[in-house]
Amino acid sequence: MQHIHFLTLSTSVFAIGFLGIFVNRKNIITILMSIELMLLSANINFVGFSYLLDDLSGQIFSLFILVVAAAEAAIGLAILTIFFKKTSSISIDTISKLKG
Amino acid sequence: MILYFFYFFSFIVILSSFLVVFVSNPVHSVLFLIFTFFNAAIIFLIFKAEFLAMTLLIVYVGAVAVLFLFVVMMLNISESIVKEGFLKYFPFGLLLITIFLIELFMIFSSDKVIFPENGLLKINEIMNLGMDNTKSLGLFLYTDYFIIFQISGFLLLLAMIGAIVLAHSDLKNPKSISPIEQKNIDKKTIIKLN
Repeated sequence: MQHIHFLTLSTSVFAIGFLGIFVNRKNIITILMSIELMLLSANINFVGFSYLLDDLSGQIFSLFILVVAAAEAAIGLAILTIFFKKTSSISIDTISKLKG
Repeated sequence: MILYFFYFFSFIVILSSFLVVFVSNPVHSVLFLIFTFFNAAIIFLIFKAEFLAMTLLIVYVGAVAVLFLFVVMMLNISESIVKEGFLKYFPFGLLLITIFLIELFMIFSSDKVIFPENGLLKINEIMNLGMDNTKSLGLFLYTDYFIIFQISGFLLLLAMIGAIVLAHSDLKNPKSISPIEQKNIDKKTIIKLN
């Protein structure tokens, strides 16, 4: 298996996640899911190069990416619920409180 | 043969991640995210990373995706306001992603990228010692990468405390009375005679 195979896969998944942030104007949950997709593509890259280069370090770093993704999802969803409690809406266009 | 398996599952990953972004119902979106992670776990199995594949299933499908589902069901989002600013932001995102993809594919196809011949922790040598994937990961995680491992554990603790502090709503108006406040009550200010 050449490196171009999994590089194409991970780049496509990253591009879809990147596009999801721009396209989506409905709610923040889909944006959080797009960020999860981008982190998954980074994981695929690390594990693929670990297989290609016969090196275990890629799998270890992929484990740390998993930790960061789990922490980010927990904090993001907690912020989301408390925001929904305050404003009863999570549409992106209504989020302008930080503008002052 | 294994290459065709890789093509098949990566096609499913790309298709379902596309559906995660563009499906209108958030519940369907979360279910497609779970499907994406399942197929990514199979791709990890193809890459001979068994422990990471199972961890992906446990952490993402077992914890994160269920958390997403709970939040989606708790918030009761209406799906009527779809595609409001779709055409407004789509060309900008498409432009950015095109530039990004062109840059990356230029890097992939160039001959100047040189991969190192031998890595630091060679998987084949470790496997020849009679250790499986999980055991060898633990061997290096608890010795060479010990400090990073501790920091990531601390990060998870911090995330847990942060999520509890953010989502706990009874801090302002607790039902229980603290004993110190109860002891300091003065009877002249509390009892009123009308």
